[in-house]
Amino acid sequence: MKWTETRTALHLWNRGHWRDYVFSQGMLFVASLLLVFFIAIGLGVQNLLDRFLSTDLPAEQVRVTPSGVQAGFFQTESGGVEITEEARNELESSLLVQRIDPQIYARVPAYLKGLLGGQPYYTDITLEGVTGQFLGDSLLKDIDWSYTLADSADRFLPIILSENLLLLYNAGFAEPNDLIGLTPEGVLGIECTVTLGMSSIAEMDRPPITVRARIEATSRNMNLFAIGVPFEFVDQVNSMYIPDGTRRYSALVVTAKRAEDVPEIVRLVEEMGLRAETRRGIAQKAEILVGSVTAALSALAGAILLSALSSAIHTLVMDLRNRRFALGVLMALGTPHNRLAMIFAFQILFMSALTMILGAALGCLLAWGASSALLSLSSVLRVSVDSLAVFPIGWLAAGTGFMLLISTGIAYVFFGRILRTPVTRLLRP
Amino acid sequence: MDSIIRARDIQREFGDIRVLEGLDLDVRPGEFLAIVGRSGAGKSTLLAILGTHDLDHGGRLEISGRDTALLSPPELAALRREYLGFVFQDFHLLPELTALENVILPAVFSGRDLGTARTQAAEVLSRLSIRADETPTTLLSRGERQRVAMARGLANGPSVLMADEPSASLDAESEQTLFNLLDDLRREQGFALIAVIHSRAVLERADRVLELRDGILHEVD
Repeated sequence: MKWTETRTALHLWNRGHWRDYVFSQGMLFVASLLLVFFIAIGLGVQNLLDRFLSTDLPAEQVRVTPSGVQAGFFQTESGGVEITEEARNELESSLLVQRIDPQIYARVPAYLKGLLGGQPYYTDITLEGVTGQFLGDSLLKDIDWSYTLADSADRFLPIILSENLLLLYNAGFAEPNDLIGLTPEGVLGIECTVTLGMSSIAEMDRPPITVRARIEATSRNMNLFAIGVPFEFVDQVNSMYIPDGTRRYSALVVTAKRAEDVPEIVRLVEEMGLRAETRRGIAQKAEILVGSVTAALSALAGAILLSALSSAIHTLVMDLRNRRFALGVLMALGTPHNRLAMIFAFQILFMSALTMILGAALGCLLAWGASSALLSLSSVLRVSVDSLAVFPIGWLAAGTGFMLLISTGIAYVFFGRILRTPVTRLLRP
Repeated sequence: MDSIIRARDIQREFGDIRVLEGLDLDVRPGEFLAIVGRSGAGKSTLLAILGTHDLDHGGRLEISGRDTALLSPPELAALRREYLGFVFQDFHLLPELTALENVILPAVFSGRDLGTARTQAAEVLSRLSIRADETPTTLLSRGERQRVAMARGLANGPSVLMADEPSASLDAESEQTLFNLLDDLRREQGFALIAVIHSRAVLERADRVLELRDGILHEVD
């Protein structure tokens, strides 16, 4: 059949039915668009949650913290068990423990001053002393993590910034004040000054000390308001301002000899009345939350797929059902079955495939647009993820293809039944 | 001469009602066969069976020597396209299309040359006094639609044209004009005409008149 005849045949076949046809294809278009849009955005949201809830705590480590509520200098102790030197020694004596990296809060007020994007920046801070192993050897290998006040004349105080603090800065401070948002990579190398013995709300008897500092790393394991600095520096500052104070640790990072010993160490820590966090525990908490969100998104995607699929099937089958009579007339006039199959192939298969591909493409475009719009509105999101939409091409193609295959497959079965139906029955009103 | 249609022991039931009771029929090329019978006698059913539109019948039906029971749906479609033309009682035109488009529809879907089909269709329509313009068939009168259906039945150059009450909507003069034309075309193209007829004037033109009564055909002198 030549193209002219084919075009005429399709033109005549669709005369007076274009509106229905366009509507049915529109339904398919919207169905595939929504499916792809929700898959892309759903996976993007899942990524974002993973990003917020992830931890870089190694599998063989246990982070031990006091059972009371603490927040560095702004400490609100509620009588919980604190991590004392005895507690540290007890843990250290366990045969399961390979190493303990202590963390300690500076019990003196402090503030940080610097320039961010040309704007002066000031904030009260709590210093938390950590050992060089805090971020793992690979991350801090190029940084000289030893620092005391004696080094202040010729060296910068190395700082580890909490990524959660960055998020808080981005969301709570930068946005309302039209300041630039900060990414974990973007803050590295920023220089500032840290003043000890004084903050906006407190002042020690002893005169304050100011040292130059530089952000060398960021971490997701820091307490929210804490700035990580070398352990001996905090120890030194505490001794200087509070000479008779007892050393209390803000946290102990316990490294087990074997990762499988971690549960036993956790049991030991909890018996001492302290809190224990492990990668697995954090992951489990994250898993529950991400799992719930994933389940909700999957249910939503499933509902969309189901409704899109039933809509597509209904649309295609109704399209054929409405043309039963016309098909009957054509069959009565002896139209070859392969010509009728050609109508089906073009109208249903080809056009539906084209429509769904276009719908999927627009769905991707909309998801990308929505992601860009949301990221441009919120620097918190911007610093957390590159995109709020994820495009797993294989899955998207599989979803759209599955929808096309099932809907056109069922439509084809229906079409086949029409072709096998006696003409007299097709022509019956 | 061999029969173009050979029907033997044709039976058809609708539930408990037996409409055709073992009917025999031979249709010779070029002849005009008129079928008469009271309303509900099964005339339209018989035409539907002979046209291979109704396959749920008993007995044996051969068209051009081929047993229709042994043919697949595509083969039956080919048989209809090559040998049979059909004019339905209710015309069954596609309402969105013009007269010309309805007539060329079988040709278009059969992959025939569109130009030739269009020329032939315009000629047949002209001879049937139908304008080949852009008017949808829904706007045509019943008589005009009947003639369009007739033109469509002839479009593929059939060996047998089956018409279910083709002059039911026509006045006496138009009826005579239509059958004059059909006679001319039959002479030119040599197709057999099987028509369900009520008009006494038209019956006189028929080569044979068969009455369908009690489920079988009776020759009427």
